[in-house]
Amino acid sequence: MLKKLSHYWDVYKKFVSTSVSVETSFRTSFILLIFMDFFFFFSSIGSVSFIFDHVVNIGPWEKNQLLFFLTFMLMIDNLHMMIFSQSFWEFSFHIKTGQLDYVILKPMNTIFSVFFRHFRASSLFNTPLFLGYLIYYGIQVNLTAFDWVMLPFLIVLSLALLVVIEFILSTSMFWLTDGMGINFLRMQMQQLARWPNFIYQGLIRKVLTVVLPILLVGSGPVHFLLDKNAWQLLATMVVALVILTFVLLATWKVGLRRYDSASS
Amino acid sequence: MTTPLIKAHGLRKQFISYKKNPGIMGSFTSFFKRNPVYKDAVKGFNLEVNKGEIVGLLGPNGAGKTTLMKMFTGIIVPTEGELKILGSNPWERDKNFRKRIALVMGQKSQLWWDIPAMDSFLLLQKYYEVSNDHFKQRIDKMSSLLGVEELLHIHVRKLSLGERMKMELMASLLHNPEVIFLDEPTIGLDLVAQENIRNFIKDYHRETDCGIIITSHYMQDVNALCDRLVLIFDGEKGYDGTLEDFEDILGSDKSVSFSFKEAQNLEHPLFQGLDTTWNDERTNVDIRLPEEDLCLLSAKIISDLPVEDFATEKLPIERVMKELMNNPEILRQRRGSLKSV
Amino acid sequence: MFKDLTLTNIGKWWITIQISWVKHTAYRLNFFLQIIGPALVFFFVKYNLWASIYAGDSEQIIRGFNFEKMINYHIWAFVVALVAQGHGSWNLAEDIRLGRISSYLIYPFNFWEFHTASWLSFQVIQMIIAAFTLGIISYFGLLIFPSFDYFLIGVAYTLFISLFWFTLQYLTGVMAFWLEETWILRVMLNTVAYFLSGAIIPLDLYPKWIVDILNYTPFPYLTYYPIKIFMGELTNLSLGLYIISFWTIVFAIINHLVWKKGIKLYTAAGM
Repeated sequence: MLKKLSHYWDVYKKFVSTSVSVETSFRTSFILLIFMDFFFFFSSIGSVSFIFDHVVNIGPWEKNQLLFFLTFMLMIDNLHMMIFSQSFWEFSFHIKTGQLDYVILKPMNTIFSVFFRHFRASSLFNTPLFLGYLIYYGIQVNLTAFDWVMLPFLIVLSLALLVVIEFILSTSMFWLTDGMGINFLRMQMQQLARWPNFIYQGLIRKVLTVVLPILLVGSGPVHFLLDKNAWQLLATMVVALVILTFVLLATWKVGLRRYDSASS
Repeated sequence: MTTPLIKAHGLRKQFISYKKNPGIMGSFTSFFKRNPVYKDAVKGFNLEVNKGEIVGLLGPNGAGKTTLMKMFTGIIVPTEGELKILGSNPWERDKNFRKRIALVMGQKSQLWWDIPAMDSFLLLQKYYEVSNDHFKQRIDKMSSLLGVEELLHIHVRKLSLGERMKMELMASLLHNPEVIFLDEPTIGLDLVAQENIRNFIKDYHRETDCGIIITSHYMQDVNALCDRLVLIFDGEKGYDGTLEDFEDILGSDKSVSFSFKEAQNLEHPLFQGLDTTWNDERTNVDIRLPEEDLCLLSAKIISDLPVEDFATEKLPIERVMKELMNNPEILRQRRGSLKSV
Repeated sequence: MFKDLTLTNIGKWWITIQISWVKHTAYRLNFFLQIIGPALVFFFVKYNLWASIYAGDSEQIIRGFNFEKMINYHIWAFVVALVAQGHGSWNLAEDIRLGRISSYLIYPFNFWEFHTASWLSFQVIQMIIAAFTLGIISYFGLLIFPSFDYFLIGVAYTLFISLFWFTLQYLTGVMAFWLEETWILRVMLNTVAYFLSGAIIPLDLYPKWIVDILNYTPFPYLTYYPIKIFMGELTNLSLGLYIISFWTIVFAIINHLVWKKGIKLYTAAGM
């Protein structure tokens, strides 16, 4: 087991180093990406702040609480950009062109070699900014020492849930061949998750919490941090992660069998 | 006896595609209702390959060669039939199985376009858990055999097609596979590059005694490498046997051609009763005749007529292939007659 | 002779438009997810968000907007974005990056003609989707429809902006001669334009000093003022027209120059 882990870690280090050497050979793109993230960050923060210039509450939360939620989600987004984002696009491209053939041939777990393949170092440059804001708003909402200890784990948990949902969605590319639509769907899902769960009502909220638990990604941990009585949502999240992991493993297996490798 | 490297029985693969009429109306109607078209890319295919064999898998475009290769390597799942490669089911894609095979596709690249080949090799080293010593040794050896030592650190996109193909081969052989699948490894290469690749494969095979399945449209490849040929037509096996037997499929007659300085009289007694094919200017003739008459007749023609040049056939396999592609019925009849015997 | 030539050329445009239609609709589910999906999510998020901001008190006024007006702002923001800024010029950059432009250098049909025709074809699809969306929304009784002349002016103005946007996107596309990944430029442009043009929230909610600055840039004229037309207010119409025309012409000229330079690089280096 330990040997297996160290093998995967060795391969992952190579993934990172090859990605970095590709990325840095396109310097302009590299710099533009940093700016892109930067603009996205400020337009998100800006929009919410401007709304709060005119209202006191959105749902039960006031400005600092909502901005803490938002910076939490932006932090997830930053990590997502860094570790996973590009692999989703490459995956759809590889299925369409049949380049996936070579990925399948490698003696590794294919979920790993497909979705962990591309690392984006440029996102690292914005991480201090994202983290700084997260900490600032964390202070504003009076996080306790316990909360601060929990925070990194919760971030990992949220990211894990988000990507497992996205992996499952992406599995459908085996059937659809053209993955553009699914990638857009993924981005729409991220948009839904970028707002706290209480803005959604009724059935839709239930569906997005239980069936496709995208709303748990941010709302689970943040509700818990702000109010320890809201631990149920966090528990649901852990359960959801476990169940969805099994769903992923099962659908992925079926998907691979369905792959019909575009002819050369 | 050891287990065969490849054992296939009654293999079939069916693909579904959708028919669409051209134009806006066509896309509009197919948007709502699609017409599926089913096609068997491979059907009823049997094959057994043993250790150390080099098998040439031949057939026209779209005959199902690549589909077979992809089933052999576990990339796609057979619709029906039995298939064992090195004793395992390829599509179960057991990791140990994947460590023992390699696939090279002339039309698809596994190297990373934007970085030097060496970086891709290092990644593959980790993938296949090849030790550092072993890795270095293999890289040194293969790169010197292929003459690409200087190119290992050049960005792949800057390499020529031939150079890239050599890198692709190295990439696939780093982990010392027991069976190698080569899908048109020489496609698009110039004559020298083709020959380099061929020699490399030959050397490699001599040293490791691995099994090789190769597809190619170049008969020189087949002639130089394969002991055994398997022909596939329209998804079905049309021939399976040695290269020599294949050359004799249309009879064991030899072919010789003469060019003359001037137009010849077709009524000349020397040509009577022979199977001849003249060009329009009557300055060139192809003669097909039994092997035992070849020397005598050639000597006579050269001494009696103003011969400028003459040649015996170098690649009989090419003629046979061409003939079979134009008339695949020949194989069907042949098989029929074999069955009735 | 001349007339003949233009006629055959129109034929080429027409067939290109048709082919792009086919391409856009080739993968059904993609088509829905890519085009209808954002619409659903947009309304879904916006409606729910503003409903919870107004917190049941739909007569509350935020910077001149009651709930109904706010929702209408977002409906029109969506329609304007769809028609004016929907086109991404993805294929254009791809053509260049994958070296497919060689075929345009041989075809008796220019690169810009091909891509402008694809854009026209795309616009038709976007208009149909916009109309469809408006139909559904008015079925739910959420839409306040402007007077017919305001509607027409709004549509014409929006189409004009879409031409501007196209010339701008075309520029990001031809940057592919130099840039590996032009999508970054496009996404960046979209992010900035959405934020500064009032597509995310009305500019009325922005601090005044920001709006004062923005009025000197083309951004508010891309979304905010067209929305205002659809909502029955003709402010800054002619100023907007001047600014947009100016930039459209500037970008068209730059595109021409950049293309010339790029093609020289392409043919010289063989890329």
